[in-house]
Amino acid sequence: MVYHSSFVDENGVNRACGCPLLPLKSHIKGPAPVSDQDRTDIVDEAITFFRANVFFRNFDIKSPADKLLIYLTFYINVALKRLEGCRTLAEGTKAVINLGLEKVPVPGESGFPFSGLFPLPQSHPEAGGQRSSVPNGFSFPPPSSAMSSNINGQILPYPCPHLAEFRRTSSKPFRALHHCLRIKPPGGRAAIRRDPNEVPCCAACGLSSPSRLYACVTCATVSCHTIAADGDSLSHAAAHAASMPHGHQIAVDVDRAELFCCACCDQVYDRDFDAAVVIAQTTASTLGGGSTATPPLQPENLRKRRRVNYLPWAPDLREQALIGSCSSPIDGATDDSYHFPRGLRGLNNLGNTCFMNSVLQALLHTPPLRNYFLSDRHNRYFCQNKSSDEGDSGNAGKKSGGINGNKSGRICLACDMDAMFSAIFSGDRAPYSPAKFLYSWWQHAANLASYEQQDAHEFFISMLDGIHEKVEKDRCKPHSEGSGDCCIAHRVFSGILRSDVMCMACGFTSTTYDPCIDISLDLEPNQGGSTKKAAASSNRTCNGEADCSSQNCGTSTLMGCLERFTRAERLGSDQKFFCQQCKVRQETLKQMSIRKLPLVSCFHIKRFEHSSTRKMSRKLDRYLQFPFSLDMSPYLSSSILRSRFGNRIFPFDGDEPDATNEVSSEFELFAVVTHSGKLDAGHYVTYLRLNNQWYKCDDAWVTRVDENIVRAAQGYMMFYVQKMLYYKASDKQVAS
Amino acid sequence: MKSKSSVNRPPTPDVLEDTPEREPTLQELINIKLIETGEKERLMELLRERLVDCGWKDEMKSLCRAFVKKKGRNNVTVDELIHVITPKGRASVPDSVKAELLQKIRTFLVSAAL
Ligand SMILES: [Zn+2]
Ligand SMILES: [Zn+2]
Ligand SMILES: [Zn+2]
Ligand SMILES: [Zn+2]
Ligand SMILES: [Zn+2]
Ligand SMILES: [Zn+2]
Repeated sequence: MVYHSSFVDENGVNRACGCPLLPLKSHIKGPAPVSDQDRTDIVDEAITFFRANVFFRNFDIKSPADKLLIYLTFYINVALKRLEGCRTLAEGTKAVINLGLEKVPVPGESGFPFSGLFPLPQSHPEAGGQRSSVPNGFSFPPPSSAMSSNINGQILPYPCPHLAEFRRTSSKPFRALHHCLRIKPPGGRAAIRRDPNEVPCCAACGLSSPSRLYACVTCATVSCHTIAADGDSLSHAAAHAASMPHGHQIAVDVDRAELFCCACCDQVYDRDFDAAVVIAQTTASTLGGGSTATPPLQPENLRKRRRVNYLPWAPDLREQALIGSCSSPIDGATDDSYHFPRGLRGLNNLGNTCFMNSVLQALLHTPPLRNYFLSDRHNRYFCQNKSSDEGDSGNAGKKSGGINGNKSGRICLACDMDAMFSAIFSGDRAPYSPAKFLYSWWQHAANLASYEQQDAHEFFISMLDGIHEKVEKDRCKPHSEGSGDCCIAHRVFSGILRSDVMCMACGFTSTTYDPCIDISLDLEPNQGGSTKKAAASSNRTCNGEADCSSQNCGTSTLMGCLERFTRAERLGSDQKFFCQQCKVRQETLKQMSIRKLPLVSCFHIKRFEHSSTRKMSRKLDRYLQFPFSLDMSPYLSSSILRSRFGNRIFPFDGDEPDATNEVSSEFELFAVVTHSGKLDAGHYVTYLRLNNQWYKCDDAWVTRVDENIVRAAQGYMMFYVQKMLYYKASDKQVAS
Repeated sequence: MKSKSSVNRPPTPDVLEDTPEREPTLQELINIKLIETGEKERLMELLRERLVDCGWKDEMKSLCRAFVKKKGRNNVTVDELIHVITPKGRASVPDSVKAELLQKIRTFLVSAAL
């Protein structure tokens, strides 16, 4: 026999959805009245009867309270499920509290377990009443502040029981702290001070300079958290929490404005508090104005790249037939004495064209680019761009300086790439002459056409630009380069840079996103110093380094360059920006970061300095150390924001790539373009890695080299590919 | 219902009321002076920069990562991490950085005529 609820007397009991709002032994306010502490309530009843009732499949309902009993029995079951695998009391408590914090479906909503058992709510208030009275003593925070484990697809740390308790019991948690937030100077770190000039010190020991000072969020007592060397005695902050009956565990770091639980000895995160800090840091809270944070503009058309499972491809019957009839077998036998991998072929120098050969070698072995062309995605025999005579009127004007009378629109750099890929991977080992390609490129970049030595980096930019322009001129929407929704050149090389410009007077920050196809880095803070470009040009960026003084350690490294690239830079008084909030030009702080990583990152080291004022150029011959394996996560916007705002949950970082997703921020070096010699009489050579072996490509000559030679080389352009791709794309070459 | 302490209580902490007023030590005086003038924040910023430049920060980061990996992501607290990493961190600050900071503090003391 099932046990029925004893709460059959419904005198003076309100109902919601046909369900009585019975008194609960809870100190939390809600629609249900408070019951005497020494009396049994419906929750006790449900727990008592649980073991018996859970065995029955049918339950005849004798009173409305029985419905509640059924629901609670179900809920206890859910709670027990959560406790599976919890090994300590603390773990279990946490799991149950977290369950209480989750959104509970009410009758009529999807996910409600007993459709039909309860009438649907008649109005929103009733739904609200239902929501906050249903389960066993846990009230639910109103939806606005409801914590969830998953916001914007981002997994949030669960609050510790103390933080959860604190949020529940205080009507406006952290409200008082908002008045104590100090950001000084604008752009600086957030701190907690009751008045701006307060020098906080520990209430117990009086020290004002221990490394960690915490203010209790309940009573504002400041205590130090210096842990004794033996680790046994409590710190003053922990002692404060322990000395109070309850509710004094949560404290805030006075110098970092980060929350800490003195009982759990761990940092805790509160979405609302963190949002308040970030808003204070980004807008003029110091001016007393209402905090009207404009959320940073989101880049258009930014799609989250989703990870899909790798499926090996094997041709089906139809494809096998097609392959059999339309292809000739590659003479795969590596009978040449070198056993070089297929595709490794020298390029003839056509008269000072090592700038081109060096970049072409890197591009020919850029895994995603190679895969694209070798899988016949741009076929030169069927290309629409070459043959069509119409639709190039837009180009005609721009390219009027063309080298000869050849009709514009007749050249397609992608077609020439296609032809070159076919030739390079044909198995022929004799050096190849990319004459056709050079000719096409001359037509594309008429201003660069000459037999003089050119800059390899300029060639790189202009040829990617050429592929983009010819292939995508119709289909490409403006600004879609960075989104990976464009031509093959942009799909492989394009990333998005984020640039924050903050007003030094009021703290107002404007954020812009720009696509980039490579990152140009300063080799070292240069002595001239003042000719910094302020804004990133559309597809290249200039590194703005913060200061010239930080050169105290020996060799420069690529990481050091990237660190300076993403460091906050105070722009000089000659480059004031118009502040939307102050309505005047103000001194500003600028910071770059990487919003979206490209599949292939090309780093260009600015070894050539051109000074327009002194009418001279020079080359920096300093050595730069570059790693074979590079983790880009410290330079991502999410990491940069974290270091600027502290360790917290961001109100807007749902759109920032997750820095913890370390897999896709790991890059692997596969090509290095080096420059040796003088500025105008130098020579470009490329080092390539194929099948974990390094090769030196010096125009027509290809030789196997030791990796130490590569490490010692003077890198001018470094090509890195995402490891996740690399591991499928490059370990096995197309042969086999 | 439990009684809740007011959040906006005046800043006087309880414990200090029982302890007799004592003279602040020289170290505390210097510290307060450093804070009041904003020099401390500037020095902190300089230190942060130096520690990044010399690779100290990266080193600490990888130590932390290794520790978290060893203990398991969900079984590490900030306190534990600080407890384990701090001795190593203190030991590996380059002497040149210490010397530079000391020099800066000396200069400040002279200029502040303490
Ligand atoms: Zn203390
Ligand atoms: Zn307290
Ligand atoms: Zn806690
Ligand atoms: Zn084409
Ligand atoms: Zn494009
Ligand atoms: Zn402003």
